[in-house]
Amino acid sequence: MNPIRKRRVYSILFVLLFSVSGISLILYSLNSNLDYFFTPTELKDRNIPSEKRIKVGGMVLSGSVERASSTISFTITDYENSVKVVYEGIVPDLFKEDSGVVVLGILRNKTIYAEEVLAKHDENYMPPNIEMNNDN
Amino acid sequence: MIIEISHFLSILATGLFFLVGYFSIFTPSSNSNYLSSLITRTYSQGFFFLFFSFLIYVWLAITDNFNVAYIANHSNTALPTFYKITSIWSAHEGSMFLWIVFLSLWGFIFNIRVNNNEILKPKSMGIISFILVGFLVFLLATSNPFVTILPIPPLNGADINPVLQDPALAIHPPTLYLGYVGFVIPFACAIAFLLHGDSEINWEALVKKWSVSAWVFLTIGITLGSWWAYYELGWGGYWFWDPVENVALMPWLAATAFIHSLGVSIKSSQLRIWTILLSILVFSLSLFGAFIVRSGIIDSVHSFANDPDRGLYLLGFIGLIVFTSVFLFVWRLSSIKSSSVIKKFSKQSFISINNILFGTLIFSVMLGVTYPLIYEFLFDQKISVGAPFYNAIFIPVVVLASIFLFFSVDSKWSRSINFEFFTAPIFLSAALSLALTFFVMQFFNTQSISILASIFAGSLIIFRYIYEIINFLFKKKYVNPFSVIAHMSLGLLLVSISFNSLLSTERALSIDINSMEEYKDLKIFFEDIGVENNSNYDSIQASFLVEDQNGRAFNLKPEKRRYFTRGQITTETAIHVTALRDIYITIGDQLDDGSWVVNVQINYLIRWIWFSALLMGFAGIILVFSKRVKA
Repeated sequence: MNPIRKRRVYSILFVLLFSVSGISLILYSLNSNLDYFFTPTELKDRNIPSEKRIKVGGMVLSGSVERASSTISFTITDYENSVKVVYEGIVPDLFKEDSGVVVLGILRNKTIYAEEVLAKHDENYMPPNIEMNNDN
Repeated sequence: MIIEISHFLSILATGLFFLVGYFSIFTPSSNSNYLSSLITRTYSQGFFFLFFSFLIYVWLAITDNFNVAYIANHSNTALPTFYKITSIWSAHEGSMFLWIVFLSLWGFIFNIRVNNNEILKPKSMGIISFILVGFLVFLLATSNPFVTILPIPPLNGADINPVLQDPALAIHPPTLYLGYVGFVIPFACAIAFLLHGDSEINWEALVKKWSVSAWVFLTIGITLGSWWAYYELGWGGYWFWDPVENVALMPWLAATAFIHSLGVSIKSSQLRIWTILLSILVFSLSLFGAFIVRSGIIDSVHSFANDPDRGLYLLGFIGLIVFTSVFLFVWRLSSIKSSSVIKKFSKQSFISINNILFGTLIFSVMLGVTYPLIYEFLFDQKISVGAPFYNAIFIPVVVLASIFLFFSVDSKWSRSINFEFFTAPIFLSAALSLALTFFVMQFFNTQSISILASIFAGSLIIFRYIYEIINFLFKKKYVNPFSVIAHMSLGLLLVSISFNSLLSTERALSIDINSMEEYKDLKIFFEDIGVENNSNYDSIQASFLVEDQNGRAFNLKPEKRRYFTRGQITTETAIHVTALRDIYITIGDQLDDGSWVVNVQINYLIRWIWFSALLMGFAGIILVFSKRVKA
């Protein structure tokens, strides 16, 4: 190979190596920072390691909301299975019984310790996967 | 009748824009004087028709013409006039309308400011016109704001979403839209350049000020949105990596890279290929933002329209634009002359490296936005990507980019650095920044690498530019004010964000009326709570007397409001602003024992974050009005 071509090959190899390693670093950090989303039924069926951050969505079971000092606990249901949630802080304005909610937290002893409780800013919002069950 | 006139005018405008597009691009001799002046005049007429149509629409909104379905659904007779106007962009059809009017406005200003002799002008106007036609057809066919309710219009109308009844929100979307669509100018010029295929044409100099103007609007628009979410949505922070924030951040990052690359291309005709590619990327990302927000494929506060047809049309149209421009780009690639050799450690080399880093950031955000969709499609498992991912990418990349920026200050165009390069300013600012970082580490007792690294990187930039400013003041050495202010604001932004995440705290307390709780250095006394009735909402208003460690006391009155027309409940935060920190209180629910849940946040330097971002925008304004830079 002539020297110019050789240099070109090296620089292409260098760029390839650089971008492949960059992209794999990004993908790696993406994979270790994903939050998986489950419904209470999926939560029961699957084996989820505790201390892993997960998202759980469903409806707030009516009559399940209890407040003590600044902690609130409630049950999320998809009308088949349910899971208990404990949260310290203020729940969003649209949070109410019998309406959709998504929590982010870790699962420990069949209870979710939430660090975030979300209710959509849309009054018609339904967590995914629940909508179908409701129509039946 | 008047509704139909407005409707008809916008259809007429569509036709005229189509003519402009057709004649400028598909007529071979588009550089003849007659044709270019015809194109100019026809475009202006199209713009006036569209603009007049929009003015009539505003008038319809002000006069509560509920024959128009969109106005009936989003406005109300009880609203103040100001919000009747802003209700136009409170939902899909109206915002799309405004978006298109702004797009045509940029084209119009370009049309009257740029001389007809400019070789790229006719084709650029044609491209802008074709894009306008595409969006106008989208508006009229899938999201027509002129649809009427006949024969009997509703009496009072529905209401604008209460969280949108806010001055910041009235100006946040228009500013952001102006930023998004402003990048149509560099895009159109780049495509016109590719169509001409003459490498000698200096399209980069033509679009510089236009690109910076659009960038200014985008910067300010994003900042306003961040501020609005903080106090009105009660999110209590400045950035949440919400999909809609992300789709605004991507074009901003691309635009910032584009402006840097543009600078190099103008200065030394290098990176020209990069610059063209970036101009296409910026505009595509702006359109992608519109698609994500409008199609409703991603859940977000902003996704108000879930209509698959709209999404499909937009995706198709954007795909067409991207495909055509990339095709053109590849076709002309070999004919673009760009001096390819970039000296190691020259100013160009640092800018190139930072462009690659910007690309990394854009790629990561894009991945974070789209990965959940792909993952769900492949594995039928819902996932979401949150702040930890973005932090893991952004902190190291931004710190690295800041260090390159720091070295680039002393580097020279087209010349390598040598031993003399490492002079006093570099050592001095590095030493000062290290000292500051150590001080923070000791004084605040923190081991967090990301915070310390960001403080170091941010202060490195600040100290280095302070040195430049001193040089300017005492030795009259020339500085580029745009560069100095914009980069110093980046440094300030980094430092403010670091201190904010280092020091800010929040806590939910439960407090009884007439009792006191302590949180950090604050004594919070719950004075009173009462119900107030207003014209369109009821509110529960609490009153707190807060005292800080210096004995300064102030009142905070957070509210919860219930709006009548929609029954929607909103939280009104109460914020006490000081130079260094915000004390931010919201009230939650009443507990069974009669006490109330109260959320207290102490947010350090949060105002400084917005201030730095606005300062960055201000730097852009300086460049746009500077006489040294030719337009």
